[in-house]
Amino acid sequence: MAQIFRKSANNIAKISMVTVVLLAGVGFYAWTQLARSSYLTGQYLEIQQPVQFSHKHHVADDGIDCRYCHQTVETTASAGMPSTQTCMNCHSQLWADAPYLEPIRASFRDNKPIQWNRVHDLPKYVYFNHSIHIAKGVGCSTCHGPVDKMPLVYEENTLQMEWCIQCHREPEKFIRPKSEVFNMAYRPEDTDQETRDQLKVDYKIRSREMLTSCSTCHR
Amino acid sequence: MSLNKRTERRLYLRFALILAAVCGMLLSEACGVRSDMQDQPRYDAYEKSDFFSDGRSSRDYPEGTVARGHLEDNKAFFTGKIDNPDPNAQAATSTDANGNTVVASFPNAITEFPLPVTKELIDRGEDRYKIYCMVCHGQFGDGDGMVVRRGFPQPPTYHDDRLRNAPVGHFFDVITNGWGKMNPYGYQVQAADRWAIVAYIRALQLSRNPDSNLKMTSTANSNTAAPVPAKPETPAANAATNRGGTR
Repeated sequence: MAQIFRKSANNIAKISMVTVVLLAGVGFYAWTQLARSSYLTGQYLEIQQPVQFSHKHHVADDGIDCRYCHQTVETTASAGMPSTQTCMNCHSQLWADAPYLEPIRASFRDNKPIQWNRVHDLPKYVYFNHSIHIAKGVGCSTCHGPVDKMPLVYEENTLQMEWCIQCHREPEKFIRPKSEVFNMAYRPEDTDQETRDQLKVDYKIRSREMLTSCSTCHR
Repeated sequence: MSLNKRTERRLYLRFALILAAVCGMLLSEACGVRSDMQDQPRYDAYEKSDFFSDGRSSRDYPEGTVARGHLEDNKAFFTGKIDNPDPNAQAATSTDANGNTVVASFPNAITEFPLPVTKELIDRGEDRYKIYCMVCHGQFGDGDGMVVRRGFPQPPTYHDDRLRNAPVGHFFDVITNGWGKMNPYGYQVQAADRWAIVAYIRALQLSRNPDSNLKMTSTANSNTAAPVPAKPETPAANAATNRGGTR
């Protein structure tokens, strides 16, 4: 009886073994890249809003401080979304008839909140707190990027854990003086490494082991 | 022999199961499937609620609720008014250069700070002033802020005799309850911070008139702490006094 496989089948078997390993490797790499892509993380994708509120206009053109609207950012976990009354502080007078702002006026008239679409949506198993980051010298733009240049806000960073953890491992590479936290014109090179190392001590930022402990962020 | 074979088969089965599980995980991850851990049945701040008819998960306080530390029994500190204000007291009015009616007397307003005036208080006031007030009142209180340059009605300057002679309680009252075209800021700025801002406004006035008889006197002994330190305002507390703002 003749052999089912010819001798050349040995080579085919060997090649296919290598190919399977290679394909698995390529597939795995492709998956890691896909998981980090803005298609899945939403990074850089502008989120449409019920009112096309422009941070670029209000922050860069008008020079309004972040905290005028995000009042609780220094004291609570949530940065705080402005109530419609905050909008009306100016827009009761400015552009008071603009059709563009009708959703704001309707919200104020009917006492119904505007349903903004969340741009930074963390999974519920992450217990993020704005106030502690502000208190330890993490600037707004360190995480949120150049919001003063964003007509519509997008996510500057992926919010993936690998992104969080790089700062939790080495906060001294990212922190800035507390006086500069809300300064949108601040650049990382404005503070040298030596000063930042000192800031880490002065602001009593905890050890790398503490900051990367699971329960620091997950409870 | 047969035992070995059975062990072998069991091993294969186990391997196949693990492989299937890993493939399944990869596949679901790639499709962006989110699990229950990511969307737990609890509310984040400002999250939309399907349970309450108005869609807000941040609820108003039931009427009459007093949160801890918010009894606000220190009238001078929380209203800027004297203890037994005369409800019939009428403020004298005058007409300014632009034809607007302005008050010239300030009945019932307290004339001394109800907390110690320290450098820290004034520094805090500068910080808060530049967040909440500068946009209209301008960096030095001339009423030429960016929002005014965009067309908002111009507020009066702090640097005239009328406002230099105004008691501190008046400034506090205006910040808290608004005045004219200015909306109330009491819900945006805590009482202690409002006093800090008043202290900074006084400092601005003094900076232009160092020889005036303006005094930053306080009824509080500087050895005692302020009645209530700035306390974090929770989103829930915010919702009690605010309109709008879910999600």
